[in-house]
Amino acid sequence: MSGELDIVARNVLWNRLISVCEEQANALMRAAFGAIVREAGDLSAGVFNADGDMLAQAVTGTPGHVNTMAASVRAMLQFIPPDQLSPGDALVTNDPWLGAGHVFDFVVVTPVFVDGKIVGYLASTSHIVDVGGRGWSAEAASVFEEGVTIPVMRLRRGAQLNEDLLDIVATNSRVPHEARGDILSLLTCNDTGVSRLGKLMTEYALDDLSSVSKFIFDSSAQGTKSALARAPNGRYESKLLLDGYDAPIELSAAMTVSDGQIDVDLSGSSEAVRRGINCPLNYSAAYAAFGIRALLTPDIPNNQASLDAIRVTAPPGLVVSAERPSPVTARHVIGQALPDLMLGCLEQALPGEVLAESSGALWTMSLSGTGKVPFTSLNVALGGMGARPGMDGLSTTAFPSGVGAVPVEVAEVAAPLIYHSKEFAPDTGGAGAYRGGLGQRIEIGARAHETLSLSAAAFERLTTGPAGRQGGHDGAAGRVTITDGTEITDKGIYDIPAGERLILQTPGGGGFGIPADRDRDVVARDLSDGLISTEAATSLYAFKPNGRTTT
Amino acid sequence: MVRFAIDIGGTFTDVVAQTAEGMSSVKVLTSPSSPEVAALDGVERLLTRISKTHADISHVVHGTTLATNALIERRGAKTGFITTAGFRDVLAMRYEKRFEQYALDIALPEPLVARPLRLGLAERVLADGTVALAPSDAEIDAVAGELRRQSVEAVAIGFLHSYKNPDHEHYVAARLQRLLGNDVTICLSSDVAGEIREYERFSTVCANAYVRPLMSRYVGKLQTQLQGKGFNGSFLMMLSDGALTTVDQATRFPIRLVEGGPAGGVALAAHIAREVGSDKTLSLDIGGTTAKICFIENGTPKTSRRFEVARAWRDVKGSGLPVKVPTVELVEIGAGGGSIAAIDGLGRLKVGPKSAGAEPGPAAYGQGGDEATITDAHLAVGNIDADGFAGGIIELEPHRAPKAIARHVQKPLGLDAVEPAAAGIIELADETMANAARVHGVELGLDISGFDLLVSGGGGGLHGARIADKLGIRRIIVPQNAGVGSAVGFLHSPVAFESALSVVQPLSELDAEALAKRIAAAQTYVKSIVADVVAEDQIETVIKAELRYQGQGLDLTLPLRTGEAAEFGGLSERFEDRYRALIGFTLDNIAVELVSVSVTARQMRDEANATYRPVDGSSAPSARRNIYDITARGSLSYNVVAREGLNGQTYHGPVVIPEAQTTTLVRPGWSVTKSDHGHLVMERDAS
Repeated sequence: MSGELDIVARNVLWNRLISVCEEQANALMRAAFGAIVREAGDLSAGVFNADGDMLAQAVTGTPGHVNTMAASVRAMLQFIPPDQLSPGDALVTNDPWLGAGHVFDFVVVTPVFVDGKIVGYLASTSHIVDVGGRGWSAEAASVFEEGVTIPVMRLRRGAQLNEDLLDIVATNSRVPHEARGDILSLLTCNDTGVSRLGKLMTEYALDDLSSVSKFIFDSSAQGTKSALARAPNGRYESKLLLDGYDAPIELSAAMTVSDGQIDVDLSGSSEAVRRGINCPLNYSAAYAAFGIRALLTPDIPNNQASLDAIRVTAPPGLVVSAERPSPVTARHVIGQALPDLMLGCLEQALPGEVLAESSGALWTMSLSGTGKVPFTSLNVALGGMGARPGMDGLSTTAFPSGVGAVPVEVAEVAAPLIYHSKEFAPDTGGAGAYRGGLGQRIEIGARAHETLSLSAAAFERLTTGPAGRQGGHDGAAGRVTITDGTEITDKGIYDIPAGERLILQTPGGGGFGIPADRDRDVVARDLSDGLISTEAATSLYAFKPNGRTTT
Repeated sequence: MVRFAIDIGGTFTDVVAQTAEGMSSVKVLTSPSSPEVAALDGVERLLTRISKTHADISHVVHGTTLATNALIERRGAKTGFITTAGFRDVLAMRYEKRFEQYALDIALPEPLVARPLRLGLAERVLADGTVALAPSDAEIDAVAGELRRQSVEAVAIGFLHSYKNPDHEHYVAARLQRLLGNDVTICLSSDVAGEIREYERFSTVCANAYVRPLMSRYVGKLQTQLQGKGFNGSFLMMLSDGALTTVDQATRFPIRLVEGGPAGGVALAAHIAREVGSDKTLSLDIGGTTAKICFIENGTPKTSRRFEVARAWRDVKGSGLPVKVPTVELVEIGAGGGSIAAIDGLGRLKVGPKSAGAEPGPAAYGQGGDEATITDAHLAVGNIDADGFAGGIIELEPHRAPKAIARHVQKPLGLDAVEPAAAGIIELADETMANAARVHGVELGLDISGFDLLVSGGGGGLHGARIADKLGIRRIIVPQNAGVGSAVGFLHSPVAFESALSVVQPLSELDAEALAKRIAAAQTYVKSIVADVVAEDQIETVIKAELRYQGQGLDLTLPLRTGEAAEFGGLSERFEDRYRALIGFTLDNIAVELVSVSVTARQMRDEANATYRPVDGSSAPSARRNIYDITARGSLSYNVVAREGLNGQTYHGPVVIPEAQTTTLVRPGWSVTKSDHGHLVMERDAS
């Protein structure tokens, strides 16, 4: 082979590996059960080299899956080493500390054999609707109550599917057939990837992936290093206060930037709590890395080398580094706050270049009917994104999560609920030269005359709204009430009595820059659109209807 | 009998006339402020050329991007939107998710209807179609007052669950029409896109209302003026799904016209596929800035009911306005002749999606463009000849191509010659297009290696063979010169109309009798539309059911024969067979759900499928050219053969066939012949 063509071939191969993952992820997304999983693309797919290092990953997928899976393959191979694997074998686990942070997420890893030798692995992760235990709530006191945990084992041995394992999962699930279907889909999508990878290696007459691995890792490491170097060397600290289950939780980070390497120490954060909002370190690290990468290295693909440049550590037993048997179902309440914590550090490194705080954790809305026909409906209620330097924050859009809401019509077909309204909540976006994204007001009741049960596990930021930056004001805190007068103040289970309704108002994003600097035409437009009140226009934006600034 | 096709694009208006003797065409500049002017001028010129008059024209088939342009440029009507009280922000909230995970600076399109014009009305239909709250006349009257006060020209109405029960939309529309008068256009979401998912349905009805006044005026003018000149034949419009419809329907649902132009291109590809007897065809059109792919089976392009117009952020998928109308399923790839090759921050060679466009264009255009493009790469390896490029319209400065490539690609990559760098650019473009085709194939559940590749556009013949190699495809079709492809495609399109019924019910709970009645009614409706211009005995109906496992997103489409009640009995088994074939297993104990049924009435195709047959005659290769080859890692000597010289003869690659608008590369391992319709057919040699 002449060296000059190698460079082109390596480029082509890198593209092809990403394409293999895309196919894998597309197949998986279509096959997923549960509207929320599908709408969200709550899954990931990736290809790994023989050492278990991630080479490429589908661009779909939420950061929580994307970045945790990078570590899952090697972790799983410690339980069943490569020399014990044969062609056809596939490994599986839903261990929160090996996979994606809670028992709902299953990871399947399939080795690729060429001439009897493992040349790489395909892995995929997706969210299974129900695996038993207490289902979707933060009520469990330990992971043992959260559903069945499958240690690393073979989902398939050679051509033989592990039906015993599938039976165990199905028997423990409230939706056995869907659970089985979702796990089989992971297997099938990996098989698609395995066959693609095999063909690619034949086409390029490759015996292994080492040359292309080196190219991908060298380029990514170099590119990441220079992109991260935009942040000046130094040590930056940031803190964030969350509502917690029923008592405030503090998240604390010390970020050290040194020549394109970023180390994050979360050691000042609160101790793990007794309810299921704790976060395993793998999931915390995944979201922390996402926050840093979205700001500094958005164009660099995810792989081992680009992720290696960011190290996240914490002593065990904190809310960000919970250990077994801490309950972890709603771990995203903590995990999804980490990007804002990281951006808080980076704001000191790059003042004026960082977006304001966003609403953080997805408000997962789990409503169950307790009447004649039992049902559970899962949807999300989204708040505003923080204002960006030069742009307003996006309204009712999740950040950092990539999950979108299930359409009202779909939600009402799936469960006997009525959404009475779902509209922007005026004045919730933090005031600023650039306004924070708006939260929304959603009003829901039962269709029949029955009591509904609500898990408030993920309703976060009910006490303090997302912070503004550069003189921008904080976004409004969220608020959840029931029409019988109940105010929701913790993450427990609440009853919505028959005939009553649930009213949610999601938080607004923080503002960016001084409100008086906001373009007058834009303030006038916000006012005529009813996105801000007259009161806010005059008092916060110093706006006079004639367009002049009050003094 | 003379048939005319008029394709109005953003820049050019193509007019094609088809007579018994053959086709002729004219290209004129589009007249943006009153597009009918250029169209009428083109028609006039062409009539003069073929010595005919307006009265001789039996059909005019018209396609246009005007609706699309109005949406992109926001030149539509002042539109109001009436919706269920409490839901007026559905249009602005969209999917409530970011379409790019890592980009923090994404922007969303402004809704077509601003918030003060989005009015809630107290009314409610539930998910099962029952009425929880009927609209009050007093409130409708108040809404009418507000609409009049804001002097709206068009009104879109979209209520929750109207796909299931449209009564409230009809009631409110009737009363508003009386109150507002006939000058105000009123569109209903249940008419325009009667499917579940409020955001997409509302978005579609608003887009329809927004462009309707403009499109009605324009189409009306064009038709009247043609008639004023003596035309009294039928006037049909090209829809996004490659079918033709009457002016009446087109102006009721102008949103269905948005992809008419590209659909014409696909219609031509489908026609050629039928001519050469290809029943599984992958159409790949490689233009100046992008490439478009579409799968065609049995001469019928794949369609879907999802499309996005007017993308607001870097042309990224997800940043536009969704419209739920039947559309040819085109996947657009950012790789065309003008796509720029460069080394990114990671030291990777990237080709596209950034394009040098026509201005300044590739470096070799000598118009100040300094970037290395795919066209420059073709020049540098010797794939194309600088002389006579694009039919001689563009005078090239070929020496600029290797310079640009050396600077932007060869040196940064550390290569010691420009040719391998240029070949690398082409290889990466081929890879990008092949990957997109493969991923799309997986989405549709198709085995791509069993397809023929039909390449068109300026770059089609250059890239076809290598892409086919990558996809395992064994036959390639390069149609003869089709510079006005879309307009020609219009002439090969059937009159058809499609309507979709949302069902969303498990098969086990289906009221088959009631559904059969709905299907029968829909059949009558779509047939009546087509029957305006097509004789009854020339109309066929196609019924398709979309099914899935309840809760899963994988919809499979199965054809129904009659749509009668009895046919739903066996549907579950048919679904499982198809599922097994596609996925490899079935899911027991999960209900199979009927999502929707689509009903299409279509003009029957005259089955003039020619089978492939070589023609006699022969001619010798005229010259040789050296071309740098990526797989040979060096120069190969290609025979230069003219298309005319191919008569009846089979040539084995390496052969290059230069033409005015394109060049076809017959790579080693491929042979080429000419079909009796003049198309080039390449086959992979047995190996």
